[in-house]
Amino acid sequence: MPLSWALLVSLALAVAGYVIGRSRAFASAGTDIRKLHSRPGYHGASVALTTLTPAIVVLMLASVLRMAKVFPPEATGFAGLLALAASVAGLGWGVTRINTDFRARNVVEKIVQGFLIFCSSIAILTTAGIVLSLIFETGHFFQKYSWTEFFFGLNWTPRFQGNSNLGILPLLWGTLYISFIALVVAVPIGMFAAIYMSEYASKRVRGIAKPAIEILAGIPTIVYGLFALITVGPMLRDYFAQPLGLGSSGSSVLTAGLVMGIMLIPFVSSLSDDIINAVPQSMRDGALGLGSTPSETIKQVVLPAALPGVVGAVLLAASRAIGETMIVVLGAGAAARLGLNPFEAMTTITVKIVSQLTGDNDFAAPETLVAFALGLTLFVITLGLNVVALYIVRKYREQYE
Amino acid sequence: MYDINRAERAVTQQDIKISASKVQVYYGDKHAIKDVDVEILDKTVTAFIGPSGCGKSTFLRCINRMNDTIPIARIEGRILLDGEDVYDRRVDPVQLRAKVGMVFQKPNPFPKSIYDNVAYGPRIHGLSRNKAELDEIVEKSLRGAALWNEVKDRLHEPGTGLSGGQQQRLCIARAVATAPEVLLMDEPCSALDPIATSQVEELIDQLRENFSVVIVTHSMQQAARVSQKTAFFHLGNLVEYGSTDDIFTNPQDSRTESYISGRIG
Repeated sequence: MPLSWALLVSLALAVAGYVIGRSRAFASAGTDIRKLHSRPGYHGASVALTTLTPAIVVLMLASVLRMAKVFPPEATGFAGLLALAASVAGLGWGVTRINTDFRARNVVEKIVQGFLIFCSSIAILTTAGIVLSLIFETGHFFQKYSWTEFFFGLNWTPRFQGNSNLGILPLLWGTLYISFIALVVAVPIGMFAAIYMSEYASKRVRGIAKPAIEILAGIPTIVYGLFALITVGPMLRDYFAQPLGLGSSGSSVLTAGLVMGIMLIPFVSSLSDDIINAVPQSMRDGALGLGSTPSETIKQVVLPAALPGVVGAVLLAASRAIGETMIVVLGAGAAARLGLNPFEAMTTITVKIVSQLTGDNDFAAPETLVAFALGLTLFVITLGLNVVALYIVRKYREQYE
Repeated sequence: MYDINRAERAVTQQDIKISASKVQVYYGDKHAIKDVDVEILDKTVTAFIGPSGCGKSTFLRCINRMNDTIPIARIEGRILLDGEDVYDRRVDPVQLRAKVGMVFQKPNPFPKSIYDNVAYGPRIHGLSRNKAELDEIVEKSLRGAALWNEVKDRLHEPGTGLSGGQQQRLCIARAVATAPEVLLMDEPCSALDPIATSQVEELIDQLRENFSVVIVTHSMQQAARVSQKTAFFHLGNLVEYGSTDDIFTNPQDSRTESYISGRIG
């Protein structure tokens, strides 16, 4: 019996179990319903859960074992039957447990709690899995390529016939340079937009402008990339780079940085707006009541109170900038270069991860494996930023509690 | 010459500081304050009493135009401060609020040090020429608020770290430091315990020497203890206004009598 059928049948059994459990509970209570410890619905749910849980556990074990190739695919039918048997046994056991003193509510609540714990551990376990797989492949890479050359090498010239230079520094420099420009664009504009939105705008303006800004956050980054490629890049080249004699490249650090900054504006403004709004009104009243102008109130009372939260928002934006790929591919090009000229093409870690893993992959060559080392480095950087951001945001919350 | 000066000072003691006539306040469609006429004397504590929602806080917030920050509020009538209409087009609410300080119901120290909290007003209004002068203002204000001895060794710690009663006295010190002429207090003791309350009440009595103090309170005992004049508000009307002794011992209006004897409210 296929596993999906086994699951469907045990679901049906669970529904039946709910109905049976409920009616058994009514029956055992007799005329006085208040003799029951738990309401009949809980009895029904407890039977349904004891029917379903063993089947799901068996099915999950079976799929894991099959993936690990412990037993052959032919044994699937057997596993399905086993799941069904477990479910019937669960149903029988659940029904016999029902009497007036049975604490069905506590049983149901325990199982639901277990389910909630399971769900929250999925996110954590997945992260751990990602890190482990990255570490594993990165280990392979460092067996084939020296780590000093990777972390301190100034050249990035992968060749698929071997003998490549795989220094991370040009990529790291590109990443930080582009992210820096993006933040220089996004943070002031986003902050001022947030201040206008939360302190000066009338309700009507706010009602229109805030969603309008947040729509920007919903645009796919590849669309921003197109904007960078066909509009911003050529414009910067024709009106700034060429007249100033700084280069003739359509793709440049400045293009990617500017467009990425525009992408981050709604991010910064929306988070800062929420944080500024969370500053208690009594704080503003206090300042206004002492004769401060609205602008003095904002500069000297509201912003200092909101500052730690705003810093958190900026750091979250920074980690997004560091992880951004599409805008860089289309805006800044793919040339790994260490340089200061913002009108030159450069590239970032994420772009090179993509280019090292597209095409024919030989997972024994350092040219492919380097992608995992790059990924792990990126992961560590953004993780560090997020940890700092969360720490600061938490400190901010403590101030008002 | 000397005698004339003294005579003049005696007169100013009884000067009218604030004079309100036919004040109406609307919140959207709600008529919150109806036809309020009141004259508040200089160097006197005036208490506004009345049941919740009677408009006493709303009226208080009209005096320094704090209702301007509420978009749906609309005010009619005249409120004169030293004979000048505070709702005149030429009056800047920012300058008005520097003259008419306010202490709020909930202590609201800024997230700054104790020193910076008190120095906030003098700094934005440029009341001191140098650090030494500012230090002096801060010390004087904190002494005025009976807080100096408790905080003099930790002036640079955050004001939010103080206890509730200390925070409220810090807010009073902050208001006093701006050197206002009138001090409005909106239920300043409602978040405080009895000990802190009695400290603040003592303080209010001392403040009378320099300011005209208007206090909104829910506690009739408090009004009786600290004020010389009392106004009773009911459903947006000013029902009765007179000396505190008269209001509490010989009320003229039956609603006032019902309220102070505990039958309504």
